[in-house]
Amino acid sequence: NPAFFRSTLPVLPLLLVLSPVNSSSCAMGNKTTEIRVKYENILSHDINELVNMSAENRDRCCKKKYENIKVFFCNDTEEIESLQSMACNMLRFFNKTRISRAFRWKAAFVSCETLQVLQCKCERPKKEK
Amino acid sequence: VLRMTQPSTVLSIFAVFLHTTLGESGCTSADGDGTLGDDEPDNFDIDCFSQLDIKDSFSSLTCNFTELPPYNTNYTLSLCTKEDNNYACSNMKKQEDAFFLQFNDILSNRDVCVYSEMKRRVCRSLVVTDIVKPEVPFAINITYEREANEYLIRYCTPHSRKKYLKDKLEHQVAYRQKEGTWKTIESPYLQIKLLGRNLESEASYEVKVRSQPNGDYFKGTWSEWSTSKSFRTAREHDSMESYSSVVMIILSILGFMVSIVMIALIIVFWENRIKPAVWPNLPDHKKTLEQLCKKPKNNFDISFNPESFGYVHIHKVDGLWAKAELENFLQPSTAPETSIPEKFRSGSDLKMIPVMADKTNLNPPVSFGGVWPAGALHRLLGTSQFAVTEGSCSSSTYEVCHGNRMPLHNDGFNLSSTLSLNPSVQTHPEPLNDNTISQMLPNSDMRSPNNEEAYVTMSNFYKIQ
Repeated sequence: NPAFFRSTLPVLPLLLVLSPVNSSSCAMGNKTTEIRVKYENILSHDINELVNMSAENRDRCCKKKYENIKVFFCNDTEEIESLQSMACNMLRFFNKTRISRAFRWKAAFVSCETLQVLQCKCERPKKEK
Repeated sequence: VLRMTQPSTVLSIFAVFLHTTLGESGCTSADGDGTLGDDEPDNFDIDCFSQLDIKDSFSSLTCNFTELPPYNTNYTLSLCTKEDNNYACSNMKKQEDAFFLQFNDILSNRDVCVYSEMKRRVCRSLVVTDIVKPEVPFAINITYEREANEYLIRYCTPHSRKKYLKDKLEHQVAYRQKEGTWKTIESPYLQIKLLGRNLESEASYEVKVRSQPNGDYFKGTWSEWSTSKSFRTAREHDSMESYSSVVMIILSILGFMVSIVMIALIIVFWENRIKPAVWPNLPDHKKTLEQLCKKPKNNFDISFNPESFGYVHIHKVDGLWAKAELENFLQPSTAPETSIPEKFRSGSDLKMIPVMADKTNLNPPVSFGGVWPAGALHRLLGTSQFAVTEGSCSSSTYEVCHGNRMPLHNDGFNLSSTLSLNPSVQTHPEPLNDNTISQMLPNSDMRSPNNEEAYVTMSNFYKIQ
């Protein structure tokens, strides 16, 4: 029926408009200089503190039950995405009660600062909200 | 169907228009300045500053109203952050006339919003890293460097132990004389030096310090002034004393070097020059005598030729001549005595008996140089002596004296043994004998009869030397 198609035709652009914007998790644009400046003046100091804290717990290595933890790789030409992945994965430690509270808070803090510097967000998995 | 398609078309067009105006990131303010809220103009001003890493990685924000709103109402300040199209705000705590809030995210773009009682909200964006106010410096220490005449001012800042503002501050030192004008010096370091020549001597000065971000990344305002520290400058002659101490040190070093050089010279020249001058060696007798026996000068004539001693009266000692003289002496006497030494008569006998001496006895010993020994003289002149005492003393004595032309010392009855009776010494008007010699060389000088000049003594050799 031609009438049916005429009535449903405008709905399609409406659906396209009303559908959620499938934007990337990181901000667009080349912001390498800004990222480097923020890293040098702020983020680097906090990362050093986190490294010093992890050195205090050097004997507590990763065990088998943490095998589901993604390996932190830095892909060439995908530095921002790699850093985003690292930060988001480190945020997952926040709920691990076996890790010391101070270390978890510091790790979460560094992760948030990293995402802020990169201007990225973590993609929420379907299981986690 | 046509009626259903028309509303749907209109709805779709409206939806597209609405999506375009609103954008993808969420709601935007109708003000156009990026703030939320109503379209009412903000009629107040807020002054905020941030302090980084105050305690346990937390930073703080302090705000206060510079212009109070016209309505005397209570206001609430909050610090908001955009998160996923939502505003996450944290209310600031009111402390006296300011609002204070602690947080740890200094990277996010923040908004400070003012909430009034009328439920109006006015927000203003701010960048936490651009309104940084460092903490106050402390522990000012002033040290006077006497040698350089400089005052070293050192101070500390709490950010030296923290992570964000370490080595990213600029410090300002202010100093003044008491009740004077402040003078400032900026430095990125934690110490400065004040030259002593630029300060008055024996004066009291006051110093204080403050800091601010250097502007490379962090920007902000000056911190509060530190507590003042006072110090007193040194006296002017202290610098002179330091100068004089330097001079003394230099002089002492020079004196030490001179003493070292003198010791070295003494050691080098001790044997050759110093010791012979201070402790001369004793003369060697052999050498001394050799010097005495040195050959005389070429112009000195050493010879035993009598002609070379023309100035000296040389009289040959002649025994006969002496005997004749003796006979002249003994003429008044009648009974000559043969041997005088054999007979030793008494004094009365001697008066009467003239003494006749032999030739041999009358020979004046040449070894005495014509000087008669005293004993012989007494024996010889014993009678004449009494004749002198008993008779006309003056006449006989005069004869004796004038006859012989001898200086005769008539000291009572004693005659000097040194009396020279050698006629050879005296000039005799009557040459009795050919042997009597009283030679006077024509070319020689006549000198006064002097016994000392008739002999060549060692002093002549010394003179020769």
